[in-house]
Formats: sequence, C-alpha cells, structure tokens
Amino acid sequence: MVFRRRPTSSVPAGGGSAPEAEASKTSADEAFSREALSYVDSLYGTALRLTRRPADAEDLVQDTYLKAFRSSGQFQRGTNLKAWLFTILHNTFRNMRRHDGRNPIDVDSEYVEQAPARAPNDFSPEELLTRASLDVDLKDALDALPEAFRQAVWLRDVEELTYAEIAEVLDIPLGTVMSRISRGRRALYERLHRSEPQSQNETMKPGEHQEKADVV
Amino acid sequence: MSKCRELDAQFAPYADGDVATGDRASVEAHLDRCPPCRDRVAIQRSVRDVMIARRSALRPGASEQLRARCAEHARAAAPAPSMVRIASRRWVPLSLAATLLLAVAGAFLFGLNDSVEALAAQLTLDHVTCFQFAPERLKHMDASAAAHDWAAKQGWAIEIPASSSSSDLELLGIRRCTMSSGRVAHVLYRWHGQPLSVFVVPHSVRALHDQQELVEKFGHEAVVWSGADRTYVLLARAEPSELTPVVRYVRANAH
Repeated sequence: MVFRRRPTSSVPAGGGSAPEAEASKTSADEAFSREALSYVDSLYGTALRLTRRPADAEDLVQDTYLKAFRSSGQFQRGTNLKAWLFTILHNTFRNMRRHDGRNPIDVDSEYVEQAPARAPNDFSPEELLTRASLDVDLKDALDALPEAFRQAVWLRDVEELTYAEIAEVLDIPLGTVMSRISRGRRALYERLHRSEPQSQNETMKPGEHQEKADVV
Repeated sequence: MSKCRELDAQFAPYADGDVATGDRASVEAHLDRCPPCRDRVAIQRSVRDVMIARRSALRPGASEQLRARCAEHARAAAPAPSMVRIASRRWVPLSLAATLLLAVAGAFLFGLNDSVEALAAQLTLDHVTCFQFAPERLKHMDASAAAHDWAAKQGWAIEIPASSSSSDLELLGIRRCTMSSGRVAHVLYRWHGQPLSVFVVPHSVRALHDQQELVEKFGHEAVVWSGADRTYVLLARAEPSELTPVVRYVRANAH
C-alpha cells in the first residue's frame, strides 16, 4: 500500500530534542549547545546570502552564537531552536546595517508585482532540471530579487521554517510573509524562464554528465 | 479577477500545505473554476521544488574554523564548574567534538535537514539527468554480478532486484550519481518501456519511522522507505496506483 505524504510544513523544522525535565542542568545545557551548533551550516548559508561576503558572514554567525549561548535562558523549551537562532541572526544583521548607516531593507514590491504569471507548461521540468547552468541561473535569479522577498523565500524553501516562524524572524505580519513568498517565487520563475538556454549547446552535454558518473 | 488578486498571497502557503482550513476551502473553490490560478499554484510548487532540490548547492557549508570558534563560544558560556560537576564538565568538550563530527557526516548529502521532500526532489533531478544522457549505453544487466561489482568498488553492500518479466521490469545498470555527491547508488530500470529508478542511500532517514511515503516532484512520483541502515527511493513518471505492484516487487527483493 502506498501512502501519500502529507505536507509537513506546519511541523517545526528543527525537530528539537527537548531535554527531559528530570535531566540535570548540565546535560540540558549540553543538549542546547549541541542542537544549536548543529545549525551552523544553515546559519552560515543564510548569513552569506545576507552579507554577500564570507568574512562578514562568519562574523555574523559568531555574533549570533555568542548571543544565543549567553541568553540561552531566554529560549523557551519546546519552541523551535532553529527559528530562535534565525531571529537572533536577522536582528544582529539589522543592527549591523543600521550601524553602517545603510538602508535596512529594500522592499521594491513594484519589481515583483510586475512579473506576469506565465503558464507553467512553457518549459518542462526536464528542460529546467537538466540545464547545465541551473545552479548559476538559480543564484542569479535569487540575487535579482529584492532583499525582503529573497529573505522570505530563502527561509521557507532552503531553511524550511514555517510561515509563522518566518513572520517572527523577519518581524513582519504573517500576511506579508505569505505575499512575499508567493510573489518572490513567481518572480524567480519568471527569471528562470527568461534565462532559458536559447540553443541546445547551452544545455548539459551528454559527455559532461557521464564523465562525472561512474558506470559500473 | 479581483478574487484572483485577493487570493494571490495564499498560493504559496496553499502549495506548501500550510494554510488554515477555512482559507484552504476558499482557495480550492476558486481553483476549481480558475485555470490561470491553477497555473499560479503550479508555479509555486515547481519553484519550491527546484529550490529544495538544489538546496545543497545554494547553501555552502560553514568552514571548520567557524565550527570550532562557535563551539568555543558554547564552552565559554557554560556555567562555571563546581566541585561535584567536574566529571561531567569534562564531558562537554568531548560531546561537542562528537557533535561536530556528526554534523559533518550528516551534511554529506542533504544538509542537516534530512527531510524526505529534499531527498525526493534531489533524486528526481538525478533520475531525469541520468536517463537523459545515458540511454544509449544502457543494456540488460545481471543483478548479482552488478551487486558484487558495486560492493567491491564502493565498499558497501547493496541488493539489486533483478529483471522481472511479471513486473515488466528490466535492469539496465547501476551508477554512482554525482549529483548526490556519489554516495547514492542509482539503479536504472526500464519499466513498461519507460525509465524507472531505484536509489539506495547508505543510511536511514529517521523522519520516515518505518513508513512508506509518496512524494510528487516535477511530475514524477517518488516512493520512499527506510530500513535499518539503507533508504530506498523508487521513482518514475506514473500514477501512484500503477506503482504499487513494482514497489511490492522491489521491496520484496531488496532489504
């Protein structure tokens, strides 16, 4: 019997292992540290998306952990530790920006609003998936999104936070999260569509893939 | 038209299954009579699935130095040791080291989000790519010889279900698919004349809890199940009900 998988997005993404109530303080601290540190790749990847510079991203992640470990008492057990860490990361980033005197966030909704919705049959999944430049095109499309939209889509599709968690992390209303993700994804789709290879030469060549795969 | 605009923001959470029940019903009622909005929802799904499939490429891992420095912050913030807790305090750095090791091992394939969705999206991509460029080199293959060969070259054992005329399944080959960092065995079949893949991942996916799951990605159905130390993903472009017999056959012959 084959069961269809239910959408899991409302389940907290961290799957945190809440320490047993009777566990000693030390092992609770230890479990907290262990789980918190397991998100280092997520935090770094997101920090890099925000700062664009590896050195700044590393500083941001370290600041985040420093604050998290110092204020671990404020973390509410049973809530999503990953989302809590992302909230610290984004707050720290916003503060960094403010000190730099830069605009905290550009919300250029016009740009995303203009993206028309094209029929999805315009290009096939195969065309997209076998495109040699998929990763580059995807990164370019993400970079072209206004930052507010990029952050929302990123936290949802790459970091698997729930809509409610994203609202908390970005400190915006839930409705805004929903519309930014809806419109952000549509703009990404449009962008990927526009970067569709014009000729066969630009798609992945047979040899290219076979070189990389071992045929036994 | 105004209804389309009004519901527009709902399409992302709707496509993700993250909409409150009331909203869900009103979106569905509208989709029933609005083909353009059905397309809009399909766009949400395909972009999300592409993002999930390429998650590992989009998100570079943290460096070892950064890992170590962050672990250092955890130690620095730990409460001062008291006389009685010395023994357990000495445990902390050890367990942190173990955590880092686990994090590295866990990230080898799909990052730390061991989710079935990500697995299915990534492997659908492998399935489509491998079959696109490999068919001329594929021919009928002996299952036990292939399994023997795999174990000798890759260092871990695999059971490969053989061709079966009753299931109309023909074994074409096995390869190490690089798109998943070469850690996954990709077994290629022809099934009722069309491509079918069985992927074997040399670790189990905890989220599955011994349950068989079905995930639709890019027009393909992926059936995922997990054993003690192996995870299997069977993938083809077919209706779930059509897959049931071939899934039964593969499960009976690979464990």
